[in-house]
Amino acid sequence: MDRNDIKKWLKEPAKMGHKYSLAAVYFCTGCGIIEVPPVITSRWDAERFGVTAVATPRQANLFLITGYVSVKTLKAIIRTYEQMPDPKFTVGFGSCPINGGMYWDSYNTIKHLDKYIPIDGWIAGCMPRPEAIFIAVTHLWTLIDKDMATGYIKYREKYKYYRANQEKVLGELEWPPLYPIEKNE
Amino acid sequence: MQEIESTFKDISVSIPEDTKLIITAKKEDLLSILRFLQDKGYNHLALISCVDWIEEKEFELVYIITSYLEENEYTGREKINIILKTKINRENPQFITAIPVFENAEPYEREIHELFGINFKGHPRLTPLFLEREYKIPPFRKDFDTREYVKEFFNKIPFVDEKK
Repeated sequence: MDRNDIKKWLKEPAKMGHKYSLAAVYFCTGCGIIEVPPVITSRWDAERFGVTAVATPRQANLFLITGYVSVKTLKAIIRTYEQMPDPKFTVGFGSCPINGGMYWDSYNTIKHLDKYIPIDGWIAGCMPRPEAIFIAVTHLWTLIDKDMATGYIKYREKYKYYRANQEKVLGELEWPPLYPIEKNE
Repeated sequence: MQEIESTFKDISVSIPEDTKLIITAKKEDLLSILRFLQDKGYNHLALISCVDWIEEKEFELVYIITSYLEENEYTGREKINIILKTKINRENPQFITAIPVFENAEPYEREIHELFGINFKGHPRLTPLFLEREYKIPPFRKDFDTREYVKEFFNKIPFVDEKK
């Protein structure tokens, strides 16, 4: 451990704990998931960075969205995201979640993922190399250190707009709102 | 091949490759041809697909039939793919289901119903298979403008950051 970090550890142990033990939820969308097995296994070994993969969203705090998002997948993404406990960080991986990428003019893929759930960071490229995941993770550390990875707070504050956008695409959602929505605005 | 030509009228048969046999038939004959082929040992429906010929105002349904037999049951002539084509009207697309002959036609027909809007008579459940949304024009038809659709629909959804 870095000696200079001791002060931070004593001051905010929970934040440092979240930062160095990112648990990524096993969730595959599109083609980018092919980059993840070498990342979490011995070739690039994500555990050096404290990133492990966990089976359920209830145990996870990092959400990698690894490719194009079809309308049906968006439903699953929202459900998964809402099940994750706070604090949770999302990273859009590849160019498709950013603006549609090569699927821009498709009838069934959503274009900007950040219209539906908050995204803390993006990795550009089609596909990004596995090293890019580690660059993203280290960037995410800096963001967490500076209290800038606040997507989950934003989601709570602007839940009304996110929910409205989700309902525009998916129609009536089957589950109740995660946070109360004030009707009088 | 000669057998099928002598049994059915109004069909044209061609062999582009050694392992392919293309039969173009009228839509009334299709089910009886399928049944005939099934009796001859072609017992596997590999795929039903659809082509939209927008200029001729026709949909072309393509049935690909092969045979899955035990190794000792082959007589040599079964090892080919039969491609069975038929054309139906585009204005009011109606067709009969192939489920009585090949049961695994069900998901293929559901998919074609969803993506091309062809109504299969006698199909037990023509419910959506892949799509979550309803489209005015089924999205795989040639007159469905995806670019226009993206502009009309996805680009109209506002970014959350712009709302204060």
